[in-house]
Amino acid sequence: MLEAFDLPFMQRALVAVLLLSVAGGLLGAWVVLRRLAFFSHAVGTATFPGLVVAAPWGIAAPLAALGSALLFTAGLTRLIRDPRLGPDGATGLLVVAALALGALLASDVYPAGTGVDQLLFGTLLGLDDADLWLAAAVAAGALVLTLALGRTWLATGFEPQTARTLGVSRARGDWALLAGLAVAVVAMLPAVGALLAATLLVVPAATVRLVARSVPQLLAGSVLLGATEGVVALWFAYELDLPPGPVLALLSGVIFGVVALGQAAAARRPVPVP
Amino acid sequence: MSEVLIEAVGLSTGYAPGEPALRGVTFAANAGQIVAVLGPNGGGKTTLMRALLGELPPFEGRVDVHGEIAYVPQTEQARLDFPVSALDVALMGAYRRTPWWKRLGRAEHDRALQALDRVGLRERAKDRFGTLSGGQRQRVLIARALVQDAPILLLDEPFSGVDRASEATILGLLGQLRAQGHALLICTHDIEQGRGFDRVLGVHGEQTFFGPGAALDAAALERTYGSEIVTLGEGAAIAVQCHHHDHEHDQHG
Repeated sequence: MLEAFDLPFMQRALVAVLLLSVAGGLLGAWVVLRRLAFFSHAVGTATFPGLVVAAPWGIAAPLAALGSALLFTAGLTRLIRDPRLGPDGATGLLVVAALALGALLASDVYPAGTGVDQLLFGTLLGLDDADLWLAAAVAAGALVLTLALGRTWLATGFEPQTARTLGVSRARGDWALLAGLAVAVVAMLPAVGALLAATLLVVPAATVRLVARSVPQLLAGSVLLGATEGVVALWFAYELDLPPGPVLALLSGVIFGVVALGQAAAARRPVPVP
Repeated sequence: MSEVLIEAVGLSTGYAPGEPALRGVTFAANAGQIVAVLGPNGGGKTTLMRALLGELPPFEGRVDVHGEIAYVPQTEQARLDFPVSALDVALMGAYRRTPWWKRLGRAEHDRALQALDRVGLRERAKDRFGTLSGGQRQRVLIARALVQDAPILLLDEPFSGVDRASEATILGLLGQLRAQGHALLICTHDIEQGRGFDRVLGVHGEQTFFGPGAALDAAALERTYGSEIVTLGEGAAIAVQCHHHDHEHDQHG
């Protein structure tokens, strides 16, 4: 049954999924707690123009994507302060701009549209050593960031007005979280692409959030669930001859739905009278 | 004379340069003193707190703070859906003194539990913050400030939406902190309660009064509350609030 994982390309995919689950679970927990799901999706999409120009400009794709994502993040941290826009308004405005720019560039750089699918959806079964090293670095980085800034993110997310008097820097914490997310999304691009990066970052953590009773439970649970979903999705994709990224997205969504429905059913169950 | 811990001189501050939301504030809070901040909704109480915390710049005048500040916000500012227990919240008071690479250890946990004990919530330490009543949540936020052990405490409407038992617990605790030499600034809507503290600071876009509660006369109340004030006789008065204060944080208080 598990002979699928005897194949070298499947082993690479397995290692990538496990490493990305660490980054996705740890950062995803904060994404869900800090309500940054839209940003996580948007920053992946914002790498689009960078990826389109990478090859013609002779820049390594991850670097071009990172530049694009960090530019988007920097722009957002400035726009977000405008109360007339709000965080979602600012994110929406910038992501539309990034998509439009990417599409315009793509119509010139990729006349027939080839490669764009790969940029947006990734190829989990075609990863090279550099992709795996990047995934490992991002997993380690997410762990260090969580250890170093977990208290800052917790205090700021729980109640931002007091953060300063508690000795934590809201601005530094927010910037580190957004930049960390941008880097993590770039590391996820080869595997799942820009559009599905949110699958690894948001869905497992959102699922565990429904049942977690503490932040450490949420962090550990998100990593474990993300890894499990990744391995199962890989196996399904191999056996059914389907692209693994969309299978992972679908599976994660179904598991979220099942847990949410289970919770709703449990909440409706009448409390027994003693 | 006791030491001045927090002081404002000719302070003018606000949210947009050139448009002060609060003007001409001059007051001092000494060690071992409670200063009540009275004023109508949108009168500038929260704006003053934010200026004292350094979140808003002085357009004119200055703020002098001699020591660390612990801030107790209104409980509505906290995210009730966060998976944190009362103990987790109280432990946040130990963040400043614990370097990021060190775990919060036994000593910090003991201090947080003691603080919860002082506010009468040790038994609820493991309960989720969001499941506690409004009064209990307020007491947890005060426990967090106790763990900080800062010489200056700013409390924004600590009695708002609080049951009688919690109010009595909080008042007793504030008295203890005063006796221990802390300086406390408390925003309140309760004029009679404010009069009972050491000093009263009235604000309504500008400073309307500063002095002992006994000197807070009808003219000062009229300046502070305008038409929202109702005199009950024998010096007692209540402020009739036309709007709920919950959203003051989000507005140009």
